[in-house]
Amino acid sequence: MQSSDNKKNSGDSRRDFLKKSSLITAVALTPAVAMKAAESQADERFAALFEKIPLNITVNNKAYKASIEPRVSLLDYLREELHLTGTKKGCDHGQCGACTVHVDGARVNSCLSLAVMNEGKKITTIEGLAKGEELHPMQQAFIKHDGFQCGYCTSGQIMSAVACVREGHANSRAEISEYMSGNICRCGAYPNIVDAIVEVKEGGANV
Amino acid sequence: MINFQYLRTTTAKSALTLLQKDKNAKFLGGGTNLIDLMKRGVTAPEKLIDINHVPLKQIELVGSKIHIGAMATNTAVAEHPLIQEKLPLLSWALNAGASAQLRNVATVGGNMMQRTRCGYFYDTEMPCNKREAGSGCGAIDGFNRMHAIFGTSDKCIAVHPSDMCIALVALDAEVVLATPKGERKILFKDFHRLAGDTPQLDNNLKADEMIVRVEVPLNNFAKNAYYLKVRDRASYAFALVSVAAGLELQGNKIVNVRLAMGGVAHKPWRLTSAEDFLKGKEATTENFEQAAKLSMTGAKGFGENDFKLTLAPNTIIEALNLAKSKA
Amino acid sequence: MMENRILKDENDRVDGFLKVTGGAKYFAEYELPGLTYGVLVTSTITKGKITSLNTKEAEKAPGVIAVLSHLNKPSAPAYEQEGGSPMKIFYTDKIFYNGQPIAIVVANTFERATYAASLVKATYAKEAFNTDLEKALKDTKAKKLQGQPDYKRGTENAYKTAEVKIEQEYVLPIETHNPMELHGIIADWRPANKVTVYAKTQGVKATQGTIANVFKIPIENIQVNSEFVGGGFGMALRTWPLEIATVMASKHIGKPVKLVITRMQMFTMVGNRPAAIQKVGLGATKDGKLTGITHKAFGESSTYENFTEGVVNMAKFMYQCDNVNTSYTIVPVDLGVPIWMRGPGEATGAFALESAIDELAHELDMDPLDFRIKNDPEMDQQKNKPFSSKNLKEAYKLGADKIGWSKRKNKPGSLVEGSWKTGYGVSVGVFNANRGKASVKGILKADGTLVLQSATSDIGPGTGTGMGLIASKLLNIPTSKITFELGDSSLPPAPSQGGSATLSTIGSAVNDVCVALKSTIAELAANSNMDATSKFVDVLKKNNLPSIEVTKESQSGKERDSYSMYSFSIHFVQVKVHSLTGVVKISKIVSVGDSGKIVSPKTARSQMVGGAVGGIGMALTEESILDHRYGRYINNNFADYHVPVNADVPEIEVIFIDKPDYLVNPMGAKGMGEIALIGFSAALANAVFNATGKRIRKLPITPDKILA
Repeated sequence: MQSSDNKKNSGDSRRDFLKKSSLITAVALTPAVAMKAAESQADERFAALFEKIPLNITVNNKAYKASIEPRVSLLDYLREELHLTGTKKGCDHGQCGACTVHVDGARVNSCLSLAVMNEGKKITTIEGLAKGEELHPMQQAFIKHDGFQCGYCTSGQIMSAVACVREGHANSRAEISEYMSGNICRCGAYPNIVDAIVEVKEGGANV
Repeated sequence: MINFQYLRTTTAKSALTLLQKDKNAKFLGGGTNLIDLMKRGVTAPEKLIDINHVPLKQIELVGSKIHIGAMATNTAVAEHPLIQEKLPLLSWALNAGASAQLRNVATVGGNMMQRTRCGYFYDTEMPCNKREAGSGCGAIDGFNRMHAIFGTSDKCIAVHPSDMCIALVALDAEVVLATPKGERKILFKDFHRLAGDTPQLDNNLKADEMIVRVEVPLNNFAKNAYYLKVRDRASYAFALVSVAAGLELQGNKIVNVRLAMGGVAHKPWRLTSAEDFLKGKEATTENFEQAAKLSMTGAKGFGENDFKLTLAPNTIIEALNLAKSKA
Repeated sequence: MMENRILKDENDRVDGFLKVTGGAKYFAEYELPGLTYGVLVTSTITKGKITSLNTKEAEKAPGVIAVLSHLNKPSAPAYEQEGGSPMKIFYTDKIFYNGQPIAIVVANTFERATYAASLVKATYAKEAFNTDLEKALKDTKAKKLQGQPDYKRGTENAYKTAEVKIEQEYVLPIETHNPMELHGIIADWRPANKVTVYAKTQGVKATQGTIANVFKIPIENIQVNSEFVGGGFGMALRTWPLEIATVMASKHIGKPVKLVITRMQMFTMVGNRPAAIQKVGLGATKDGKLTGITHKAFGESSTYENFTEGVVNMAKFMYQCDNVNTSYTIVPVDLGVPIWMRGPGEATGAFALESAIDELAHELDMDPLDFRIKNDPEMDQQKNKPFSSKNLKEAYKLGADKIGWSKRKNKPGSLVEGSWKTGYGVSVGVFNANRGKASVKGILKADGTLVLQSATSDIGPGTGTGMGLIASKLLNIPTSKITFELGDSSLPPAPSQGGSATLSTIGSAVNDVCVALKSTIAELAANSNMDATSKFVDVLKKNNLPSIEVTKESQSGKERDSYSMYSFSIHFVQVKVHSLTGVVKISKIVSVGDSGKIVSPKTARSQMVGGAVGGIGMALTEESILDHRYGRYINNNFADYHVPVNADVPEIEVIFIDKPDYLVNPMGAKGMGEIALIGFSAALANAVFNATGKRIRKLPITPDKILA
């Protein structure tokens, strides 16, 4: 995927331009600190100055401020920057659901969302579902019904399952299966996952 | 992925202005297709204009038409009471596509702009005229099981991947575009293009235009409609063939009918000759079979997709039968 | 270390809490100071040589620390001599397959490494290649190797002269393991040649040994951590070149390097279930006694390493038959080397053999279940030994009742309802009841807890849960007070997790440790004049001992010489096939496991369910498609390579015979990871035939094949 002997990368010209022009412009704008930085790691600092943009985001009820490259996905931001590794990378292309989180209450694939698109939004990840030691009913039901084996898709399954019930799409096994089909489980725990969701839905607990 | 520039805008006007300033800029909606393509290196815009905050999310009845804003999410449309009541076909088609997570962010406009799922298009090391004009078509003599049987060209046999668009073309929708000179309208059936000699162009949207909304006239197909999607697994897969069918019946007589097919052409494929044939006829399997046969005029297989020459008419028959028995 | 929360039910997974809260840490989730990110550059040709590699642009890109390739290979003593097996990454300019790693770019963020990798430019001298098994078979000049010695019992090809016979060819495409977790490693090379890795491996000791070998450093210098593994299905049974590349990179830059490959790279860098073409001939008397079995298999391998598996094993003993001959040929093609995928070769072979059995039963106009029962072997004719245990006749009956086999009609296409046709299919699965050698340490503490340690793995079956249950019963300690530590190369040695042997191998050692601990406690009790029934906590306290510990190595006894030991399964499937669209819907599945005593009922059931789901994929949806003109995969992603989704899977009934087989191990339990899948695809194909009269001999059974 990364290799190429015939491809043009349209980013090159802009990169070169930045490299040449950024020194001049940035030095004019920024005094001593940036000058020092320029001497040591100019490219790095100026890349940050010019290419990172501010982000205000709330994750699991905690507010974060960041300066971030726009190309960073919400998923990589959560995993690599915030170290909230409960959200998993399974395909990085919106095809498996392992990275499912709630954005302002709706389930989304965090791999296909840029972190910067989520300015001002409230994100809930698997780490924010339980109340301390007290598990969310869906988490309990997944343990009870053995809704996982290796556990790698589990965070996404549970976030998706909670949304499935909240959306009102858990009225039959068939409906649950259809609305949970965006979450692949390679170990094949699907029937157990459906059992868990049925129990939570029928139990009527506040999810 | 290059480190592109990211801009956010809250009005359609400023979005258009920003777009016009930069040839290498692209609008960013839900991002479910664009970011995927950028990660694969298929496209590398230098600037993304985030239009998610542009207020184009309306779903409303205006006169005898339902207006759907370009930024309404697939979920918002599929679950809207007005759509479920008046345009259930659209709702079902939407729900047949992608996954709940993707539908939560994918927009109507983005769905229309979706690129093909052809494997040669996605692999930058393979020939693809759509991705890189003049590089050749890998699919014509290669793996073409998923590919088109109608309206193909010797440059490209890719198919349009959307489900939503199949329903919209069947329902005689119109697309409203913002242009530098004000709004313009285009029939949905004319929005997407056949590949011809310019497979790099999926549609007739000009570089300085923006999809604002879709307008769908009210109809009498809500009672007897069906969206049938045949695919390799039960959910979360692109169509081998899909059929959107709407019948307006008086007794068993077909007063009006709409038929469109997905997974068979470079654009949503409306089946007008079958519609013309069925109008005024009895809703019988025999007539459905005749209509299906008529629909296949001009169809051509490329080897691995020859089965679509059988599957497509069969799916038309089954969709019509299911639409008929829906009530 | 595994955190052991209070379990609501002793059968719940011991790591359930961590897995449902996102607290379970997989290899890529360890925070190391100064962590850097590696991204691989891969070949875009299928065969030939790299003629130039331009890394200048990449090296200049922001955040880039190093670019490693064959041009600046870091020291790896075992790689200095070119050629031979395994492939020596970065020690050759040769290209063996498309997508082969040719360089690694290391940068300070993932995004920067990814971008910089796209700037590396290679040119090549291309050579002719072939990635197509069928083409290689037709080409008399193409290399073919014996994969296993030919086997013959009685008359060769006796089926040809039988009263009733069938002769057919069965084709399986490449399947890709595709565990949910992407492969990769974190490597941290520190001064004095100390190496710590966080790996995704089915064998921490194997990974440790491989790294020691490649870099020629003492094995004690290498620490392998792999507590949680996000699925393996066989692909993590070896240390892949990409892992070695990452260790090299860390050594080169003196910082920890994390590599997580892409989903696309999962198709080319970490093996697959190779394509196979099999010819099966079966003959029987008119009244349905098998008189001849011939099974010839051709399986793909690579040009740079040979790969073999047990494709034709089952034909040799599964049915009572005096005349059996098999052959297994491997055919090197220009693809990455395969690796065992769940059920491995036996699953490949079972599709052919069990489809053929169904075909012959049809020729005989016999119920395929009756046909199997009639030819059920009394003993293992291949090894000339009795089976240690086999309850297939009972299993056939239980499964048949559950699926409603009596509703099945022998004439295909008999059950029609509107556009849907219903059919029933059955198949057998079988796999060695393996048991290896392993060590376990047990630490019994005065606070009432037990810690068990072994350098085994858990790729998902629930190793710790099973071990806890074994110990709990023997020592009468609740599972909530037992901790099982694994995935750490410093623990007592254990083999890799594969071949359905973990419970049997490690469980036996756990058993032996518990028995030893029990007798130590009894001795201590006797010495301190305590009642023999005294609780161990009291005994330890009385003796002023905070804990006692025992380490035991355990392996099979002589029983293995006298008995044939297998684990069996039977899969029953009910399908509905749409006559117009060719869509196959599975309406019911019953899987029966004849695998000895069930030690951990909940996880065992899940494993059978999971195997059936894997079988659905193999049967209906999975195929890694190559464009042989380019040697590149066309559908190398989760949108186009279809693994089953939730909506594909019906409710699955699991039945266990649950009879102990103490000849295999002290628990009386046999493995079941493989039998859960082996045979399933044939049961499905047989059901499709019963529904439609259409025999599909090439997987997967997609709508186009039904309509053809």
